[in-house]
Amino acid sequence: MQSLQFRFRRTLFLPVLLAIPGSLVAQAATVRGHVTSEAGTPLIGVTVSIAGIGVGSTTGNDGQYTFTVPGTRVSGQSVTLSARRVGFAPQSAPITLSPGTIQHDFVMVPTAQQLDQVIVTGAGTSQVRERVGSVINSVDSSLITREAQPQNILSSLTATAPNVRVSTQSGEPGGSAFVIIRGATSVTGTNQPLIVVDNQPIDNTTLSTSGGNGSTVTQNRAADLNPNDVESVQILKGAAASAIYGARAANGVILITTKKGSNGPTRYSFSSTQTFDNVIKTAPLQTDFGQGSDGTSGTCATPDCNATSLSWGALLDASVPVFNHGKEIFQTGLTSDNALSVSGGNNRTTFYLSGGITDQLGVMKGGNNRYDRSTVKLSASHQLLNTLTFGGNFSYFNSVGDYVQKGSNTSGLLLGALRTSPDFNNLPFLDPISGLQRSYRFPHPTAESITDSRGYDNPFFVLDNEGNRSELGRFIGSLTANWVPTAWLSFNETFGADNYTDSRVEALPLTSSSDPVGNVTRFQITNLEIDHNLTATLSHDLGSNVQARLVLGQNLNSRRNRQVNVFGDQLIAPSPLAIQNTVSFTPTEMRSLRHIAAYFGQGELDFYDQFHITAGIRDDGFSTFGASHRSAAYPKVDGTWTFVNPAGNGSGRWLSMGRVRAAYGETGREPLPYSTISALSTTTLFGSGLGDFIGSNQSGHGGLVTGPNLGNTDLKPERNKESEIGADFGFFNQRSDLSVTYYSKRSTDVILPVPVNAAATGANTALVNGATITNKGLELALNTHPYASRTVDVTIGGNFARNIGKVESLFQGVQFIPYPLEGFIGAAGSSSVGFAPGVIRGQDFVRCGLGQKASLPGVGDLANVDSACGAGAKKGALYISGTDNMPVVDPDDRVIADPNPHWTAGLSGQIRIGHVQLSTLFDIRRGGQVWDGTRAALDRFGTAQETDARKADGIFGKNVLADENVAGPGAGKVAFHSLSDWQTWYTTTGGSASDVQSQFVEDGSFVKWREVSLVYTLDQPWVKSRLGVASALIRVAGRNLKTWTKYRGLDPETNVGGAEFLTQGIDFFNNPQTRSFVVSVSLTK
Amino acid sequence: MHKIKLAGLLGAVALAAACGDNFLTGGELSNDPNRPTQATSAQLFVGIEVNTWAELSSDLSRVSNLWTQQLLGENLYTDTYHYGVSEGTTNGFQAALYTGGGLIDIHRLEQQTAAAHDSVFHGVAEVMEALLIGTGADLFGDITYTHALTNEQNPPLDPQLAVYDSVQVLLSRAIVDLAATGPTNAGPGDADLAYHGDAAKWTKLAHTLKARFLAHTGEVRPTVYAQVASEAKAGLTDNTDTFNAVFSGAANEQNFWYQFDIVQRPGYIAPDPQFVALLKSRTDPRLATFFNADQSDLSDALLKPTASQPLVSALESVLLWAEGLQRSGNDAGALVRLNQARALVGLAAEPAGLSGRDLLSEILLEEYIADFQSLEAWNLYKRTCTPNLTPIVAGKKIPARFPYDGVERNTNTNIPPLSGQPARNANDPANATSDATGAACLGQ
Repeated sequence: MQSLQFRFRRTLFLPVLLAIPGSLVAQAATVRGHVTSEAGTPLIGVTVSIAGIGVGSTTGNDGQYTFTVPGTRVSGQSVTLSARRVGFAPQSAPITLSPGTIQHDFVMVPTAQQLDQVIVTGAGTSQVRERVGSVINSVDSSLITREAQPQNILSSLTATAPNVRVSTQSGEPGGSAFVIIRGATSVTGTNQPLIVVDNQPIDNTTLSTSGGNGSTVTQNRAADLNPNDVESVQILKGAAASAIYGARAANGVILITTKKGSNGPTRYSFSSTQTFDNVIKTAPLQTDFGQGSDGTSGTCATPDCNATSLSWGALLDASVPVFNHGKEIFQTGLTSDNALSVSGGNNRTTFYLSGGITDQLGVMKGGNNRYDRSTVKLSASHQLLNTLTFGGNFSYFNSVGDYVQKGSNTSGLLLGALRTSPDFNNLPFLDPISGLQRSYRFPHPTAESITDSRGYDNPFFVLDNEGNRSELGRFIGSLTANWVPTAWLSFNETFGADNYTDSRVEALPLTSSSDPVGNVTRFQITNLEIDHNLTATLSHDLGSNVQARLVLGQNLNSRRNRQVNVFGDQLIAPSPLAIQNTVSFTPTEMRSLRHIAAYFGQGELDFYDQFHITAGIRDDGFSTFGASHRSAAYPKVDGTWTFVNPAGNGSGRWLSMGRVRAAYGETGREPLPYSTISALSTTTLFGSGLGDFIGSNQSGHGGLVTGPNLGNTDLKPERNKESEIGADFGFFNQRSDLSVTYYSKRSTDVILPVPVNAAATGANTALVNGATITNKGLELALNTHPYASRTVDVTIGGNFARNIGKVESLFQGVQFIPYPLEGFIGAAGSSSVGFAPGVIRGQDFVRCGLGQKASLPGVGDLANVDSACGAGAKKGALYISGTDNMPVVDPDDRVIADPNPHWTAGLSGQIRIGHVQLSTLFDIRRGGQVWDGTRAALDRFGTAQETDARKADGIFGKNVLADENVAGPGAGKVAFHSLSDWQTWYTTTGGSASDVQSQFVEDGSFVKWREVSLVYTLDQPWVKSRLGVASALIRVAGRNLKTWTKYRGLDPETNVGGAEFLTQGIDFFNNPQTRSFVVSVSLTK
Repeated sequence: MHKIKLAGLLGAVALAAACGDNFLTGGELSNDPNRPTQATSAQLFVGIEVNTWAELSSDLSRVSNLWTQQLLGENLYTDTYHYGVSEGTTNGFQAALYTGGGLIDIHRLEQQTAAAHDSVFHGVAEVMEALLIGTGADLFGDITYTHALTNEQNPPLDPQLAVYDSVQVLLSRAIVDLAATGPTNAGPGDADLAYHGDAAKWTKLAHTLKARFLAHTGEVRPTVYAQVASEAKAGLTDNTDTFNAVFSGAANEQNFWYQFDIVQRPGYIAPDPQFVALLKSRTDPRLATFFNADQSDLSDALLKPTASQPLVSALESVLLWAEGLQRSGNDAGALVRLNQARALVGLAAEPAGLSGRDLLSEILLEEYIADFQSLEAWNLYKRTCTPNLTPIVAGKKIPARFPYDGVERNTNTNIPPLSGQPARNANDPANATSDATGAACLGQ
């Protein structure tokens, strides 16, 4: 699995292992040896340790290891020396510990199972995987740098672990990644997991400048990390695994371990990757009918005239030039990623120093679609005393991005592009005489039109806007100390800070349709998170076959956030797009401070190396809760029984390993700060959902109004209780393994803003502990290693996951809570009882066979629909009225789309022949509906390809809503005779102006060929002699090469709000996903 | 800064065990640094004004003008123009009757002004309450009022006509309060952007609102018209009395029609051909006041960010006076008032002798024209079927109420789902004929 470039020595987080005595003292013992593969080549990165004492080391380049056991612990006793490395079966051997040098060599045998790995389990603890009773998925560095979006560490987790669902907002530089682990457990916030880097929690907020429906793409903050620095990622999925993080762990925890230096000669590694991106698909548009209305042309020719927005004009003559407005705005993007690292050390001091520069130019033309990131990192540790080691990790990240406005925004790229009539040439986008923006609705601008709207912006004008930028500087640093005063006791302290300032501008130049007088928004976010985590670990052998360990810890955390937003309206001069060049300003500021004080304890018992039990509890105090609920305890317990052990009696049999496990745990979630307080508001806006608003201050008089949210002093943490059981099997001498897990999670007291009756309370919402949500699921992971020889190695892996989420209840009788910022009137995000969190609500047509009563034209009010449909009507068929041969709108609001998939799967394969390695990855999603709001709008404007149906008479179930069954008196009869009839339908009930958005909901199932890559490794002796490097690696890869889906829009894996929305599956002029071709060279010395 | 934080945190490590909650409470941990919790009466009043302006001159006025065929709806308004209504059509304005700036703050203001013995300010608050709640009854029919803000689950709705009665009581009380004198009666002062604290004008407004809401019950209580006339007589009579929403033009302080038609949603509304034809047939000079030269959009004067928006006009008041007189049998007096109203907009007097249905027809058409951009045109149409509009969609009725808000319905079992809600409110049975012409009413 691992390629050479990443075979760094591993410094473990197991605190006891870090306490390696450095110098010989009287009567000490030195243990050393050589570790090789079956083929006899030296193996680096193998951990060799004496677990009972807690000492050990890892092998260097030459496969040699050496460590010293202090004299105080050498008494001629018999101990077990074990060797472990990812991808190999663990080895162990009894040795007698007596003063002097003890030599022991190991020969390691490859295995698919990764049970032998020592994994980080959070809050300063770690454990051998086979002793962990809950599922923790691991992703190693080779996969991370190979995967989907190299600039975003979270995107790289796509399809790598069951029930870790990752969606990337779009293929744009700087797009956010949305991660859901085992289903959403909450109906507020976006259910993103806690991200912990080297034992230190970091911020992973996604916050757009002006709302996810519009604005630009926005990074999730974990995307600042340089994937090249990451050694491994552990995903704590269940509550038992993540309970050690208490009330921040309800959505799971992603633990990222970065690379460290190791004892040995200084190593250099350089890699350079060039990625070429292009859009996978452009919107399907018609080019037969031109701008106009009711079948007649509707362009205009006079200065400053307004032309119709519609393309319901005449059939275009073949001689009229037409333009593909979906395609003309894209180019080939180029990402250049260069990374250099230097690492090394001696037996007391190690270091790892790296730098990386990623320059990404996106697929949109115009040069304002880019994201550049530079990172530097230093990790170092020094053993001050035999019992005391200090270390530190320091990283600085600088990123600068230029973005293109998107989504529901008349100045968004695709909104204007795709609505443009096919017979209008968007170029030149500036009028040659006046130099001002021209668009299909405003084709002849004069100088007087400098503050007039263009209806929708010309897409090339949107691309030319250089006013959308972000500039981020971020420092993440931590100091660590490990003290091992006695053989059975160790202390581990991590004290870290994560501090960033994100400085943004989002601006619209003059003539921009969404604000023709222009505006500039300055948005500055400053965030500081300080974390202290202290653990004490006590280990003891209770007889030769029982080992015990106790971890006690304290965690203090402080998060301070500052946001300053200044909206400057009305540009004075056309440029610069700067705040002082605007006429009036509206500043807003948001400040918050949150503290956590937590204490935790965890006890572990191991019997006969077969049974292992861990039990723990964390008591969390949060400043954000009500006074009477400030602290809460989160227990967990898990156990495993390894009944067939690969290192023991199982070797060679068809079942080489067998283990069952069970776990139970509880986690929580905190509310937003100050939710307990009812207060007045200075920021409420008064007006309608159509964008016309006034504020509470007028004409120099300050106004104050009661805030829209009721405070709740009784708020307490949400409680997730999760049980999981599972089994892991190894077959045929560990050449195959299978892991099965079933879990059931019940989240109670879920915090939600319930819509309250305004008439009764004077408020719109109140935050309460109310909802109950369940998630049940099954996870399967299979890896096989069907063939392995010295030169050929084949690996096939797959995972399957199913999660059934359900909002059991919300609050009192409330059936749904709307998310007004997610989606649109007619297709609005919500959480609704009976569905998983995050479903889309809207209206549907009257349908047959559902026992409905409805007002049917020509039949009567509250008519029985089923009898009106007639015998033989298919269940769910559209009722077609005999009055107009059209379907009838059902006025009742309901869930029209569930974006949550039925199941997901990943399939990977890898074959290595000599120095060549070929690998591939497929990502499969079944179910998950998408509302194609883009099609809804383009139907209305008459540019959607399906509106080509207007060439014939319109019949429902045939060429209008062609996928539907129909019944009733008008079924099969002609509804539209003329172009005007078609236009009337699509501009009212049949398009985006309709209340019936169910007609644009589609199945979002897909199979995506995420990756195929070919790697050639050069590590022959001539490489070293001729090139002066230890190895060179050349990689050619393709990403997102092919998508198989029935979804008719750009991509089913899309969401206009990215990681900012809980409700996924909202497609509204979203910018597209991309396909990439990658060429990469890595050198290691 | 950071050093202090770090040192503080380190100190807290040592102390945390001993004094647990200190790390979790105090300062910015316990007190919201972003939101105030106290407001003066003047500050509350500004918020109340703002909310009222939005209720009366944002989306609801536009939508009602689509249904009265004074505006034509395009783009996302196409469906609404074709009488598509849903629980979203109210666009949050049902809740806004009660939330910040609405009834909750009006009650708070009434308490504060009572405690300060400022009867004038108290009276002003009562007028605002009456305007808001009366408008709620116009829009939705039965609404929660006597049980409003009690925090009870499923608050019952008051019958619409009972709400109108409460509004009359409230306005009567306001008129008494506004007459108070004495040093504590400071009133809102300049925080009152419409009248600058002029109690006499507030008193006139109270009378006109009495006339307006009485007239709204005229269809089921035909005897109210004499009182409509007497209240209107004491009401707003001069253009300088008109109760306006006032906009400075700064960001978030701009006229709603400007924001909507120029900035946010150009092309959604256009002059309706029916209305244009009516104005042309009457050679009404307001054709040029309302619309641009080719009648493709509203006029530049109406689409300025600083354009004041009349919410209750002297013109409306004088025309109600005329209608009240005519309907209570005083044609001669009605004609005087009609001509007084016409003079307010620079129109020549009607010929003497105009009487009976012809006079009523003229008065109602004048009201219809005068109420452009206001909800009152739709309220007029509902109660009088004037003008006798032909529905845009054949076979459909012109919407006669706004459906209750989906959230309000979802949180109150007393509100039925949309399919179970009445098509018309209690004050507004379908007209068999048009009051102006006597012909069969086409749209009800």
